[in-house]
Amino acid sequence: MTGYPSDTSEMPATRHLLVVDDDTELCQLLSEYLLPEGYDVESVHTGTEGVERALSGEHALVVLDVMLPDVRGFEVLRQLRARTRMPVLMLTARGNEQDRILGLEMGADDYLAKPFNPRELCARIEAILRRSGVERGALDVRVPGDLIVDDVSINKASRIVRRRGETIELTTVEFDLLEALLRNAGSAIARDELVRTVLNRPFSPFDRSIDTHVSNLRRKLGPGPDGLDRIKSLRGVGYQYTLRQSSGALEK
Amino acid sequence: MRLHIKVFLWFWLGVLVVSGTLIGLTELTHSRAQDDRLWQEKYGPRVDLWARQETHILRTKGSVALEEYVGSFQADPGVLNYMFDANGHEVFDREAPQPVLATVNALAQSSGWTQRVDPVERIIAERAIDANGTPYVVVVDFPEPSVLTRPVFELLSADFSGRPTRASAVRLAAVVGVAGLFCFVLARHIAAPIDRLRSATKKIAREQLETRIDRDVLNRGDELADLGRDFNGMADRIETLVTAQRQLLADVSHALRSPLARLNVALGLARRHSVPGVVEHLDRIELETERLNTLIGQLLTMARVDSGVGLERWGVFDIAALVEEVATDAEYEARPRGCAVAVAGDRNCLVSGSADLVRGAVENVVRNAVRHTADGTSVEISLERRVAASGPAVVICVRDRGPGVPDKIVQRLFVPFYRGLQTDNNQNGTGLGLAITRRVFEVHGGTATAANADGGGFVVALELPLYVEGGTRQPQAATRPTTEEHGNAITAA
Repeated sequence: MTGYPSDTSEMPATRHLLVVDDDTELCQLLSEYLLPEGYDVESVHTGTEGVERALSGEHALVVLDVMLPDVRGFEVLRQLRARTRMPVLMLTARGNEQDRILGLEMGADDYLAKPFNPRELCARIEAILRRSGVERGALDVRVPGDLIVDDVSINKASRIVRRRGETIELTTVEFDLLEALLRNAGSAIARDELVRTVLNRPFSPFDRSIDTHVSNLRRKLGPGPDGLDRIKSLRGVGYQYTLRQSSGALEK
Repeated sequence: MRLHIKVFLWFWLGVLVVSGTLIGLTELTHSRAQDDRLWQEKYGPRVDLWARQETHILRTKGSVALEEYVGSFQADPGVLNYMFDANGHEVFDREAPQPVLATVNALAQSSGWTQRVDPVERIIAERAIDANGTPYVVVVDFPEPSVLTRPVFELLSADFSGRPTRASAVRLAAVVGVAGLFCFVLARHIAAPIDRLRSATKKIAREQLETRIDRDVLNRGDELADLGRDFNGMADRIETLVTAQRQLLADVSHALRSPLARLNVALGLARRHSVPGVVEHLDRIELETERLNTLIGQLLTMARVDSGVGLERWGVFDIAALVEEVATDAEYEARPRGCAVAVAGDRNCLVSGSADLVRGAVENVVRNAVRHTADGTSVEISLERRVAASGPAVVICVRDRGPGVPDKIVQRLFVPFYRGLQTDNNQNGTGLGLAITRRVFEVHGGTATAANADGGGFVVALELPLYVEGGTRQPQAATRPTTEEHGNAITAA
């Protein structure tokens, strides 16, 4: 059995999901709910098993609960991120902002507050898979190469980000976000547009995940060559990557 | 450090005062007569010796040598040496003061004595006859006794003149300095563990619950060590309680959410197989589930705010930007009804606290206002910097253009689960939103009040202290002002 479906432009018959949650009954219900949607669910109930199974490379995506009996979900995420870039959707306790922020900071592709609406879960899984599909498809569809703005350059093929030659570790979402911002460097992108293009889902007010991603990205990139923030918040509009020397994004 | 300086200065002052008192007491206990007697016993024989030497020098070496000799010991300030010949003439032609002359006369009249002493004026006159048989009277006029000649100060002033010399000043400085050094070390010994206790207390308040007092303090074997041990006991207890509370919140959250999560998925499954006529009931179940969900979330938030547990992300943020963001989001909700959310007033208002909690609290108020404002109107949010009694603050007023609230229940809106207002617009409320808002603002040292606005509508005023550089504001979980204190605190805008 191979890991990722080789071609996501055609809907494969079933996609394998790994659900890591200690609630066995919920796992059963989920597996029943997701099957007609085209997902084959394997569930494990501890973090240790979760890491082990996720690293087997058999699954397209991991649904990871923050509260696990043995280790925190974040620890599982940390171990996964050290080895793989496979998509992870975190299930966090509702109203716990810190878990959400921490999860995204550590490289979760998205999060969903538990209890969730199963339709929403499906939509999120769909969005993440589509996004990671585009990411792999980009090798063929778009010209692989560098995008350079001032002292920052990103390579879309290798997904490597460099600032003055020094490599910066970004999560998948942060990379996509940076790419979108760099592509439009010098002009503003609306928040809802970023949510649609980067997170691949409809914008909903009071959802601050895009802002969390932006602030994480800002922190990782550090201040610009002139000491000011690279990414400017435009109140009521969205975000803008500020140009310093160059007149726009340079594509090679 | 301030305590250290304080203790040091008091000790030092204490040592100096004790020394001063000791000198004063010596002065009092030594009677003048006793002192005079001591003086006489000490100097009487000396003057006898000097007189003989002086007459000898005058006879053998002449008056120039004598003047030199006399001058050498007159170097002690205040001491004057006179020498009279048989005619009562001063050898060096100096004018002698009246008391000296009186003593000389007294000596002349009492033929049997060779020495005459005036203890009050401190004058000693000595009859001396040189080898040639020429009689002289040598008079030494000592200065008046001063406190500096007292026994304690003999340590300090070696000379009998009683005036402070360079050497005595050095000795005095040494005593003061040694006393100072000793006091400094002693003060440090007392104050240092108190400083440690204080910084440990601060750390505990900042939720660094693993903080303990270290061995240095505990090994002292005095009350401060006991205090340190008591502190550690207390810290153990707090750590256990907070950890337990945190665990309980997590467990409750988990225990309540798990069945709801299953219910949601089961509902999703039921919808797949639903027959006409059941859908609306499923919708109802979904709505109620969502309400229950919101309620649990709010209850847990309330518990977190009340206990102060889980407020770790405490930082400095711009509340004006936060309000702006909330307003932008709320406008999405308001637009379908032709409503808008307008923000005006001061920008860049830095406050310290948990941005997530404050955001939730402001969101509650703004979304409430959007829900209640009449179609086609706008919710107005104003930010204003103000100098309150407790320092600079920022006041956020959120005003809607809705029906308002009956005056008598305005204040009760902040009471958890108050069910006074059952309108169509309010069906989705859990009765906790405003209560949470008030608690969040109180924890941040601010207030939340509400009133009906002049000209219709309802206004909620939220006040937060502005961030002051260097000031450390901690979550104030313990303070819980009563609702009455807030009664009509604002007049409607």
